[in-house]
Amino acid sequence: MPVTGTTTRSSLWREEGSTSMRALGYFIGTFAVALILGIGSAWYMIERGSPLTTASFGPWQSWLSEGNPNADPYTRAHLARSGRLPLTSTVARYFMAHTDSLGRTLSSGCEYSIVGAPLNARWWSLAVYDTYGSLIANPSNRYSFNSEEAIRRTDGSFHITLSRYARPENWLPEGRGPDRNLVLVLRIYGARDTDISGIGQIPLERLPKIERVRCE
Amino acid sequence: MRVRLPGLYIALGVVLAGLIHVVAVLTLPMLAPRDAQARLAALGPANTMIQLPAPAPGRQVMPLMAPDVRYAVCRYDLSKGPIRLKARIADDLWVIAFYTPLGENYYAVVGADMKQPDLDLIVATKDQDVAEVGVDSPEAFDNVVVVTSPVKEGIALIRAPLSGPSRSAEAERALKSAYCGPHDNPS
Repeated sequence: MPVTGTTTRSSLWREEGSTSMRALGYFIGTFAVALILGIGSAWYMIERGSPLTTASFGPWQSWLSEGNPNADPYTRAHLARSGRLPLTSTVARYFMAHTDSLGRTLSSGCEYSIVGAPLNARWWSLAVYDTYGSLIANPSNRYSFNSEEAIRRTDGSFHITLSRYARPENWLPEGRGPDRNLVLVLRIYGARDTDISGIGQIPLERLPKIERVRCE
Repeated sequence: MRVRLPGLYIALGVVLAGLIHVVAVLTLPMLAPRDAQARLAALGPANTMIQLPAPAPGRQVMPLMAPDVRYAVCRYDLSKGPIRLKARIADDLWVIAFYTPLGENYYAVVGADMKQPDLDLIVATKDQDVAEVGVDSPEAFDNVVVVTSPVKEGIALIRAPLSGPSRSAEAERALKSAYCGPHDNPS
């Protein structure tokens, strides 16, 4: 070890005895920092995703090869941890949002206006969950709006209000009780535009905008 | 010497962090507390078609299930031979997807791609000879699709997205007629 033989200026260390003690201290410190960095970065890239594994547009994020047998290790770990059985991108596309269009965390203490353009797909559905992926109890038993149910405007766009209290047009309830963070999932089955490998193409600028209206 | 020392520790730290990162990413799938296979195993035996309850608060088998999709699942085990899966596809939107226990979707049938509504599949591993164990008449064999499973134990999941606000009962009825079980005596 190159450490032995170096002299130390610190009187504290000299009292402890040897420079090898100091080397051991440095080594343990280095190891602890490496452990935090290694596990932290792994956790972040698995839980939150990275440009390697996900496509993002505004608040929406989509894991590109989720469910694919040839997926990268990050996507595989993400999937195993999620406990889900998603379809691959040739059959369905999933987009998830944890924030509004300005990047503020979605909370049941706020009201949101979700405005979407028509999507060129056989079927789509927009559902709201808590951060554990559970549906939220509400008196009208409404957990989602899909392409068959949502009331459209004359230009084909749809307007969904995510709120605690009843709203006109398409009301997606946030549930009562204490404030909690929310997750929106937009699932799109049978996209009509596909690329050469059959992956459903959703023009990202057509994904709904999520605007915060007010908070309590 | 004194200048180079922190650099040495930083380099060591970066290499160690990288190694720990790789090990963590590769072992995490195995340490996942409740993967889909474990959640579905709690519902009933293998090689049986089980209809999942309509997703609602407190009645979700898996996280982030679609509230407007009805599901039926068959956890298959090919150790005693191939299995058969039969279903009448009631809607273009239906998807029948096959998974490994880790959630890899290795095969899928989309309702809209079907020429006729009756789906008849045999699921077998690579080394199980289906022609020998099974289908007796060649003309019946024409309509049967053999799915080669990369794993002995896996999951077949039927999704029936609701194509309208009051289609729930209809979809549940259609899923009820789906069969999954031993490959030689389909009901």
